[in-house]
Amino acid sequence: MSRNSRSYKAERVIERLTRKVNRQMALSLAACVHCGMCTEACHYVLANPDDPTYAPAYKADRIRRLFKRHMDWTGRVIPWWVKAGSIYTDEELNELMDTVFGKCTNCRRCSINCPMGVDFAVVNRMARGLLVSVGIMPEGVAVVSKDQWEIGNQMGVLKEEYLDTLDWMSEELQQELKDPAAIIPIDKMDCEVVYSINPREVKYDPRTIADAAKIFHIAGENWTMPSEGWDMTNFGLFSGDDDLGGAVARRLYEKVEELRGKKLVISECGHGYRSTRCEGPNWAKYDVPFVMESSVITMLRYIREGRLKVDKSKNTIPVTFHDSCNNARSCGLFEEPRELLSLVVEDFREMYPNRSENYCCTGGGGAMSMSEYTPRRLKSAIVKAEQLKATGAKIVVTSCHNCVDGLTDLIRHYKLDMQVAQLVNLTANALVVEARVAVPVEVPAAVPAVEAALPLHGRRILVVDDEPDILTFFSTVLGDNGASVTQAPDGATCMDLARKEKPDLITLDLSMPGMDGGKIFEALRNDPELAGIPVCIITGKPELRRLIYDRPVPPPEGYLDKPVNDETLLLNVRKILKLV
Amino acid sequence: MSMQRKVHQGEIRLIKGDITDLEVEAFVLYARSDLKLWAGYGNAIATRGGPEIRQELEAIGGAETGTAVLTGGGNLKAKYVIHAVGPKFQEPDLKAKLHRTMLACLNLAAEKGLRQVAFPAMGAGFYGIPLPLCADTMISAMVEFLQQRTSVPEIIICALDNREYAPFQSRLESLEDTWTDAVKGKAS
Repeated sequence: MSRNSRSYKAERVIERLTRKVNRQMALSLAACVHCGMCTEACHYVLANPDDPTYAPAYKADRIRRLFKRHMDWTGRVIPWWVKAGSIYTDEELNELMDTVFGKCTNCRRCSINCPMGVDFAVVNRMARGLLVSVGIMPEGVAVVSKDQWEIGNQMGVLKEEYLDTLDWMSEELQQELKDPAAIIPIDKMDCEVVYSINPREVKYDPRTIADAAKIFHIAGENWTMPSEGWDMTNFGLFSGDDDLGGAVARRLYEKVEELRGKKLVISECGHGYRSTRCEGPNWAKYDVPFVMESSVITMLRYIREGRLKVDKSKNTIPVTFHDSCNNARSCGLFEEPRELLSLVVEDFREMYPNRSENYCCTGGGGAMSMSEYTPRRLKSAIVKAEQLKATGAKIVVTSCHNCVDGLTDLIRHYKLDMQVAQLVNLTANALVVEARVAVPVEVPAAVPAVEAALPLHGRRILVVDDEPDILTFFSTVLGDNGASVTQAPDGATCMDLARKEKPDLITLDLSMPGMDGGKIFEALRNDPELAGIPVCIITGKPELRRLIYDRPVPPPEGYLDKPVNDETLLLNVRKILKLV
Repeated sequence: MSMQRKVHQGEIRLIKGDITDLEVEAFVLYARSDLKLWAGYGNAIATRGGPEIRQELEAIGGAETGTAVLTGGGNLKAKYVIHAVGPKFQEPDLKAKLHRTMLACLNLAAEKGLRQVAFPAMGAGFYGIPLPLCADTMISAMVEFLQQRTSVPEIIICALDNREYAPFQSRLESLEDTWTDAVKGKAS
């Protein structure tokens, strides 16, 4: 293509660029003096010191040249002097995509080092939005965006699945507290608190919902969760699509208004907190009439007001805290989580650097959705891994679900001896629950004692994984809880045992030599005799999720990310087997 | 939340909800040209509807922009799904292509003898069709169809949220003043 003609998509990108650049972006695009102060601030640069294409100033120049050429007079008069340039082909648009999506997590650490006040993340996000508007984006970004546009949440959780999970967590809470009034109220009008969550909690971590419900219940809060418009995350922040940002924020705000809620409490999620509380009203052009608050502040307030009593001796394992970029650097939320931690854990160890200087988890508010960039992401995660290791802690706490996934992935990759938790987990665990006069939960008299004690009694479970340690761990947990367990280290054995044993459930690893989990899953579903057996995918490679969902067969009944602890495994197995 | 307008021999109804969970004769999915069920409504259809729909689509293989194909509804509450391939992401001639896609859906429904079909806000949202253009084009195609054919007497627009609902509501409200008058004028 000649330099005088532009592809249709490139033309649309240039057109939209001139409408999207606001004063804040223009300042960041015009002010850079290429001093290099941003370079050492970026975890991608630190992990790739010989590759200049990761330097924030270099990445910004890919966008700056367009601004100079099409919007700034210097670029029209002396283009060679100010390095102005344009974009002509779809290939060049794809190269830009690789930079803005694949070489930056928009963590904004470079911005705090810039003496000129350049906020590269603002410019980078704008460039992402331009590409998305012409359909150029990584596959994972497209999937998540479409899920949130059409289903109303980032993970495509259907309404029945969401309500079923809340129901399940209500039952768990009632049993734990032996209190029939301990429920999750749905769509209750005129509450003090409307609680919104991240769909990841429904899909992979329902324990955080139960922990929050326990805290609200014990604090005596008048609270509710909405049946719709419940997702407080907003992929528009990551993809740069302001229309998506506005639509998602509006759905949540309108629901809180419909319920006449006085306060919207946002569960622990960095990008959810920033997009809902800080950016959403602008995207949605919505005058929000209620208070919005992070659940971290809510929990801390309950303790300060004496509505919750906590005992830090219940959390003795050494803990460190990872500041989410969106919470800390972009929203200034870094002292409250530390104050709460000091109340609920015995051994807190600071990570260095910290607060707004902290390094990104590499999950970057949505970066985990782009499997094609996983190797780059994990390579850059060495910076975070070294930070974590130096603390000597065994648990890293974070108030962000993207960080939970990012940290979990890098901990596994760099073989660190650590677990990831959230403040809601530690606070719930530290609660001092005073004895209440409660109606006992009835246990049918006909159920033998051993059956009541062992929740999986009589169930046959086939565990499929190529790692012997995992086979042993899962088998022990499930066996200790009454299940009869058989093991398969590969696909062929799995199919043989499934036909022979007809188990009640199969737990299936995805990444295995020979016949991978995706093929095994499809073979199970296509075999009329085995198609009805529930399958729980348990994988250490979340990016392989597409192997399952792209197949022309019904999706699995459950999905868990490794590492998985015994409690999570048991909870999910019980849910799939309808034993809760 | 709903409203309706009588147009010639048919009716256009506007409702709010999840189109893949509607108990209707057929609803429309804004599909890819490879007809693959993916993300968003596609995943909802695959999950709620079971594997039969995917298998039917695989046998069909693909479709061109401006055309539509019909499959059964599997375990969905709807009996059929119309998979319509419309324009996407600022591509040229958006309005004309969307109009053609709408008529392709309605004509297919008529050929198959369907009496009721539900549409989402076609291409708005992920595919970036501006909502005002979407509402104008969809309603004008529906009116054009209802002028010419008496089959498919019930056409439903299922908006996902208030943002989608509002432009269709205002178009339908103005429709009462224009089209019913026009029909009245023709009749007299």
